[in-house]
Amino acid sequence: MDMIAPLVKTGVIDAATNLWLAIPIGFIFGFALFHAGFTDSRRIAWAFYFKDVGVPVVMFSAIVTGMLGLWGMSLIGFIDISKVYMLPTYLLPMAIGGLLFGIGMVVGGYCPGTAIAAFATGKIDGIVFIVGFLIGSLIFGDFFPVWGDFYNSDYMGAFRLDQWLGIGLGPTVLLIVLAAVAGSLFLRQVQYRFWSAKEAHPKAEQVLKLQGGLIATAVVIAIVLAFFETPSFIDDTVEPPHYIVPRN
Amino acid sequence: MKLDKRWPPVPAGILIGVSMLLAWIVAGRGIGASGGMTRFVAWVQHGLFPAATVESAYFGKYFANAAHPLNDYVVFLLAGLLIGAFVAAWLTGRLRFEVLRGPRSTVAYRIVLALGGGVISGFAARLARGCTSGHALVGGAELSVGAWVFMMCIFAGGWMAAWFVRKQWI
Repeated sequence: MDMIAPLVKTGVIDAATNLWLAIPIGFIFGFALFHAGFTDSRRIAWAFYFKDVGVPVVMFSAIVTGMLGLWGMSLIGFIDISKVYMLPTYLLPMAIGGLLFGIGMVVGGYCPGTAIAAFATGKIDGIVFIVGFLIGSLIFGDFFPVWGDFYNSDYMGAFRLDQWLGIGLGPTVLLIVLAAVAGSLFLRQVQYRFWSAKEAHPKAEQVLKLQGGLIATAVVIAIVLAFFETPSFIDDTVEPPHYIVPRN
Repeated sequence: MKLDKRWPPVPAGILIGVSMLLAWIVAGRGIGASGGMTRFVAWVQHGLFPAATVESAYFGKYFANAAHPLNDYVVFLLAGLLIGAFVAAWLTGRLRFEVLRGPRSTVAYRIVLALGGGVISGFAARLARGCTSGHALVGGAELSVGAWVFMMCIFAGGWMAAWFVRKQWI
């Protein structure tokens, strides 16, 4: 069966159209960042003090949505997963980069996407963070020979969690959904325990029903996916293209 | 869901996930924010020092085959992000020039730390090959081991440093 997505890689749309379509996609992303409260540096930083754990909850929700959607679309034959760019793993550079990035996040109060969204809403600390971010990127690029070897070290190819765990892709997806739900509930309890109790939301019950319904839907989809064998998600007969880095 | 106030976290996160799905369906790649910013700074430096930037071991690839560094997917995404956040804030009446900070923090303290935090993050994002959006969220959904390690290390690094800058936030 011919899969129709990714549209630009299967020739449904041309490269120029793909470029212009990035604007509405970015629009949705920016719109969602605002509604997640990510244009407020305090809200982002408070996650590290457990004062407002909205940040990890939003991140888990985004990952679960993307994960169920991506692998689900691959399973039903809508998207050709071998044509999707997979993030390769450089273990140690990514670990050290993550530690530094976390420090930068609690010190600066933003990450790149949220700083740009904050700048768009008039936050002056957002534009200052952006200036700093550009300087940091410039330092990395201009002195690249100093850390270039480390940057390219510890390469593991496109290495997935299910391969690392040695279990199927479907069960891995289910595990992540369950861990995301448990983690979110746990972080909320920590927040209520150490900081002020639940603020009285005028529509608290409605919000609870809405979020509970969405989470239950995700769990049901993940349970369904857990029953499929890994090869049904990834068509192994397809030759991986050059931009998918094979595991060595 | 009415538009006059912010959404709860789960639907907001789902909408971010939807933008990720659309990028995979249309372009076969994820969303991301730091890539566009790196291209922007490469473009600025190229305006000042063209020869050195083209020969740069890191930035040189953006100029290969006489390419324009801003003519790239990630830059168009950023333009959309900027408009999307502006429209969302405008619809809810939250457009305001201000310096966000905790009750014990001065404006100057906040500005210095915003700049310093930006420098650290800018360096870190390049070292890790991405930031929260393109790396942690997109890579996390792709089940990339590197992305999950990156994300756990973000929270570990943030919690380690939180005590030292607590006067800024709480």
